[in-house]
Amino acid sequence: MPLRIAVAGKGGSGKSVISGTLARLIARQGSPVLALDSDLLPGLSMSLGSGPDPVVPPLMAATEKQPDGRHWGWREGMHAALAAQRFAIDAPDGVRLVLRGKQGPEGFGAIIGASQTFWELVHGLVDAPEFRDWTLIGDLPAGQYQVADDWAPYASIYLVVVQPTMQSALTGRRLLRVARKRAPEATHLVIANRVRGEDDVAHVEKLVGEDAFASLPFDEDVAAAERLGRAPLDHAPDSPWIAAMQRLIASLAALPAAPAKQP
Amino acid sequence: MKIAVAGKGGVGKTTVSGTVARALARSGHRVLALDGDLNPMLGVSLGVGGEQTELIVAARQAVAAGEEEHAPTIEEIVQRFGADAPDGVRMVIASRVEFMDPGCMCCGVNPVNLVRQLEHGDRTVVCDLEAGLGTIDRIEEGVLDVLLVVTNPTGKSLEVARRAIEAAEAVAEIVVVANRISDESDLEIVREVLGDRELFVIPEDAVIAAADREGIAPIDLDPDAPGVAALVRLAERVAGAPVAA
Repeated sequence: MPLRIAVAGKGGSGKSVISGTLARLIARQGSPVLALDSDLLPGLSMSLGSGPDPVVPPLMAATEKQPDGRHWGWREGMHAALAAQRFAIDAPDGVRLVLRGKQGPEGFGAIIGASQTFWELVHGLVDAPEFRDWTLIGDLPAGQYQVADDWAPYASIYLVVVQPTMQSALTGRRLLRVARKRAPEATHLVIANRVRGEDDVAHVEKLVGEDAFASLPFDEDVAAAERLGRAPLDHAPDSPWIAAMQRLIASLAALPAAPAKQP
Repeated sequence: MKIAVAGKGGVGKTTVSGTVARALARSGHRVLALDGDLNPMLGVSLGVGGEQTELIVAARQAVAAGEEEHAPTIEEIVQRFGADAPDGVRMVIASRVEFMDPGCMCCGVNPVNLVRQLEHGDRTVVCDLEAGLGTIDRIEEGVLDVLLVVTNPTGKSLEVARRAIEAAEAVAEIVVVANRISDESDLEIVREVLGDRELFVIPEDAVIAAADREGIAPIDLDPDAPGVAALVRLAERVAGAPVAA
């Protein structure tokens, strides 16, 4: 069974860098990987190594406004899997990346259609035979909104990323609560990120109130990659953080298969 | 006056908002702190504490739950659902995403409308906005006196800051806050993306990091720490008058 993962957490906790690195490392193992960026900000694209502003075919072209004037639905002949194939771009290591769209001075109205289209797309992928053998990795924006609003219906695993600070831990706690309510069949795991030792892991576990499934070390080389806006896998492939990511993938692959959420 | 704070998640928006609000209150301003993030954390940096922050009811949910029989005014919301923070700061959480919200995100009591409608009068309103550009994309001219755009010396946060400036430049005075700056090379990273724009620099500070770790207001841990003192100066700059730490 390919992995179906949603990555959530507070802003700045390391969601995108974990999502992007997971996607590329799994792709290097030979699995087809679709990375799903439902954030309006360019975090995942930068962490994958595709830069802040990749040229992306506009996903909204796959849908049109419905007669009710409020909702967007697929154009004739279009469906979720086809949209995912047609509107994804190539990222390093053969990862395919679908972006919800950018946000900028064009304003709020212009993004509603793209948002609805992306939501339709992820829901359509849950059972799409075209992607049955694909690993899906979703990088969710900061906070709980998209978890509550069911933006990762494909996920059988939620990774909740927490760094050893109060705000990050409280966010993790809130996320676990919302994700368990939204997707009770999924497996919900705490990933302690940027820990400088066992004390930091214990701090995360105490504040969140549950054990960490895995911990990823604070790593100067990864911090340097972040400063430069580069993918850690390109900037520091031999760093301890990447090694810990490899171990995380092995642990995730060894989990008992969880039933996917029913559509 | 009305001040809002924006930036990528994790850059220190909430630390800036909470510390600026406390510093202004200490120097005699009547301060209302609005938490406009759907993942509300302002209570932590104001010094209310993590566990207590979890207990504060959000205005939207209180209204949606029918605790108000009649449509409340913004002032009634502040009075009824606000909470008190140290130094006399009054705080209000706009909304939480805890459970399925029956209402529409675009209507009624939501962060954007609260930012718009909160009258300042003789009050100083400090709004901690959601991560990213969601709120500032929707703010019109005349709503804010000052927008603080917070960034770190990292590629992603600078990209978000660049877009925030682009989105808001025409509607508010912008002060760019370069946070967690260790040395000149950090400033170079910031300038590479933002050019010659004036930067208000907040140095990397172990006291702020320790406060973040424990969930304590930095201004309570050590008001004289370099990063905290710089945030007090930022409050002075924004208020246009000296502010006592």
